[in-house]
Amino acid sequence: MENKVNEKIFKPKIVGFLCNWCSYTGADLAGTSRMKYDESIRVVRVMCSGRVDPTFVLKAFKEGADGVLICGCHPRDCHYHEGNYKCLRRYHLLKKYIIQMGIEPDRLRLEWISASEGAEFAKLVNEFTQKIAELGPSKVKQNIETFS
Amino acid sequence: MKELRIGVYVCHCGTNIAAMVDVEKLAKELSEVKNVIVARDYKYMCSDPGQDLIIKDIQEHKLNRIVVAACSPRMHEVTFRKALEKAGLNPYYLEMANIREQCSWVHTNRNEATIKAKDLILAAIKRVKWHEPLDKRSVPINEATLIIGGGISGISAALELANAGKKVYLVEKSNKLGGIMNQIDLTFPFLNSARQILDRKLSEVVNHPNIEIFLNTEIGEIFGYIGNFETQINGNKIVFGNIIVATGLKPFDASRIPEYGYGKLPDVITSLEFENMLKSGDIKTKSGKQPQSIAIIHCVGSRNEKYNVYCSRVCCLTALKYINQINSVLPETSIFDIYADMRTFGKYCEEFYSSTSRKNVTFLVFDQKNELPKIREASSSDKCNLIINFREKLSGEIIEVPADMVILMVGMEAHEAAKEVAHKVGVSMCGNNFYIERHPKLDPVATTTDGVYVVGTCQAPKDIPDSISQAKAAAARILATIEAKTVDVEVTTAFINEDLCCGCQTCIKVCPYSAISFDAVKKVSIVNEVLCKGCGTCAAACPTGAAKAKHFTDVQILSQIEGLFSYA
Ligand code: FES
Repeated sequence: MENKVNEKIFKPKIVGFLCNWCSYTGADLAGTSRMKYDESIRVVRVMCSGRVDPTFVLKAFKEGADGVLICGCHPRDCHYHEGNYKCLRRYHLLKKYIIQMGIEPDRLRLEWISASEGAEFAKLVNEFTQKIAELGPSKVKQNIETFS
Repeated sequence: MKELRIGVYVCHCGTNIAAMVDVEKLAKELSEVKNVIVARDYKYMCSDPGQDLIIKDIQEHKLNRIVVAACSPRMHEVTFRKALEKAGLNPYYLEMANIREQCSWVHTNRNEATIKAKDLILAAIKRVKWHEPLDKRSVPINEATLIIGGGISGISAALELANAGKKVYLVEKSNKLGGIMNQIDLTFPFLNSARQILDRKLSEVVNHPNIEIFLNTEIGEIFGYIGNFETQINGNKIVFGNIIVATGLKPFDASRIPEYGYGKLPDVITSLEFENMLKSGDIKTKSGKQPQSIAIIHCVGSRNEKYNVYCSRVCCLTALKYINQINSVLPETSIFDIYADMRTFGKYCEEFYSSTSRKNVTFLVFDQKNELPKIREASSSDKCNLIINFREKLSGEIIEVPADMVILMVGMEAHEAAKEVAHKVGVSMCGNNFYIERHPKLDPVATTTDGVYVVGTCQAPKDIPDSISQAKAAAARILATIEAKTVDVEVTTAFINEDLCCGCQTCIKVCPYSAISFDAVKKVSIVNEVLCKGCGTCAAACPTGAAKAKHFTDVQILSQIEGLFSYA
C-alpha cells in the first residue's frame, strides 16, 4: 500500500463519525470489496452526520485522537434531507474553535462519502492518515493532563 | 443501576475475521475486563448454534448486556436483537462491534487489526453499559402497495398482490406498460413469443379491479414509513403500506465504443434494433438488401473495464437465439458469432447453446481485455458492407470477417430515472447505479429502508424468469407483512426531557420532519414519535441536553469514544 504510514515512527489514531445511511455503508462496501486501508481509523456510527455533536469531536481529541474524520451523505443525499448541511455549519465553527484550543485545524476533516464510494473512503482514510502522520501526535491530551 | 453483567462474543466468521484478527486472544483478554462475565469466540455467531450460545449464557449467567463483535451491524444487528429477545432480554441491550467490513477485510497487518478490533470491542462494552431498554412500537399496515415501473417485473408483482385482493397503484413513466419486453421478439431458450407472454399479463393487469394504473406519470415526493407511506399523484393523495421499485434498465449506448462505429456505419445495429427487424420479419440492410452474412458481437459495454465491469447476463443467450432465428429465416446467410466468453448458465440454457452450436454458424473469440474488434466500411471490391478486424484469440491470428450487418449485443445499465427514484424512496445505489438490496443472499429483494423492495433489472441485470421470480418474491414478502396486520417501527426516535428543556425551540428549527412542537403552557418542546425518524439532529443542536436521540444518546456515544482509547 503506497500511502502506508511509517509505523515505526508514529501510528496515528483517528476517530471517524460516519452516518449510517451513506458513509457507514460506503465504509462497509470498502470491506465487502476487500479494499485495503490504514488501520488508524476507528469508526463511531451515528444515524446522520447531523447528529455529530461538537462535544463528540472535542471528546475524541481529549481522549487522545490524533485526527477526527466526519463523513456524511453528499449534499442533497442526506437520508434526513438536510442533516449534512447542519453538520457542515457546525464543522466550520468547530474548525475555528479547535484552533483556539491549540489543535491544528487540519486534524479535523469533513467529507461526503456515498454508499457506493468504498474506494473513495479507503483513499480518504489513507490520505488523512498520511496528513495526520505529518502533523505528528496530537498534544491535546498531554496538555490537558499538565493543566489539570 | 443494577449490577452490569456483560457477555462478549467474538465471531470468527469462518476465517473471514479469524484470519486477520486473533479472535481467540481477544476473547481471552476481554474476559478480564470489568463487568464482563463471559467472553467467547465462536466460528459463526449468526448461526443457530451461535445464537443459542448467547441465549443460553443470558439465562445461565444472568447477563444483562451483550456485545457481539462480528460483521457490520447493518448485516446482523436485527438477528442478534432477536436472540436477546428470545432470551427474555430487551433487544436494545445489544451493541455490535464491526470487526469484519471495517476491520479484518480492509487491513493487512494482523497485529494492528487485532489491536483495532480490541479498541472497537472495548468501545462497544463502554457504550452498552448505558443502553436503555426500548419498547417496541407497532403501527397498523395500510394494505395498498405502490409499484414504480410498469415493466414485466412491476406487472408481475402487481398481479400477485392484486390477485390476493390487495390494492395496487402501478405508476409508469412512459405511455404504455410492458417496458423493455415490448421490444423483444422471442425469448430464450424455448423461443416463445415475448408478446404473447406479455399480452396475457397485460390484459389481466389492465382489467384488474384492484390495480390502478397511472401512465405518463412520474412519482413525486414520498412521505412516511413502512405501513404508512403517502404521496401525491396528479394532485390526489394516495396512501400505501409498501413500495416496490421496478424502474428497469437502459440499454448500453453503443456509440460510446469508437471501435464499433455505431451511429456512423449504418449497418452496425444494436440487439434491440435487430429484435425490431425480427418482429417485423424483415431482416434487411439499410440499403434494403438481404444480408449475405451477419456478424454478432458480444459483451458490448459489459465486462469491460472501460465501460461496465459486470456481465449483463442475457446477451450471450440472446445472441444464440438470433443464430436460431436467422438460420430459420435466412438459411443461406452465414453467421459469425464473435464472443469473449460464452456464458450460458440457467435452466436449459447450456443445452440451448450446444444445440445452437450445431447450426450453421462460425464461433470466433475476441480478446475483450486487450483489444476490441474494429469495424470498418468495406471497399467496393469486398462484396460486403463491413469488415471486422481482430485478433482471433484461439488461433492467435489477425483475421478479417466480412459482414453485411453487425449486431452489437448491448448490455444493461440502470435506468436514468433510477437515481431520482432512489432519493424519493430512500434506497441506496451501488457504484453502477443499480439499487442495493438489503443482503445479496439473505434478503435479495428488500432494501435497508423498511417497506421498500427492489425487483427486476433495477437491482442488477437479469433475464425475464429471474425478474418475475424476484417480483413475486417481493409481493409475497409484502403479503406476509399485510397478513401480520401491524409492523414494528423504529423506536430510536428523539425524546425531550421536560425538566431540562429551556424552551429555546432550537430543536424545532432544525427538525427536518416538523416532528417537534412547542407546548406553550409548559413552555417546553414535545416530540411527535410518529413523525420523528431518529436522525438526532435535535440532540446535537440542543444547548441544554434535553433533546435526546434514543439509542444514540450523548452518554452512549461519549462512552464509546472513551472506550476507543481505554487500551492504548
Ligand atoms: S444521513 Fe447521511 S448525512 Fe444525514
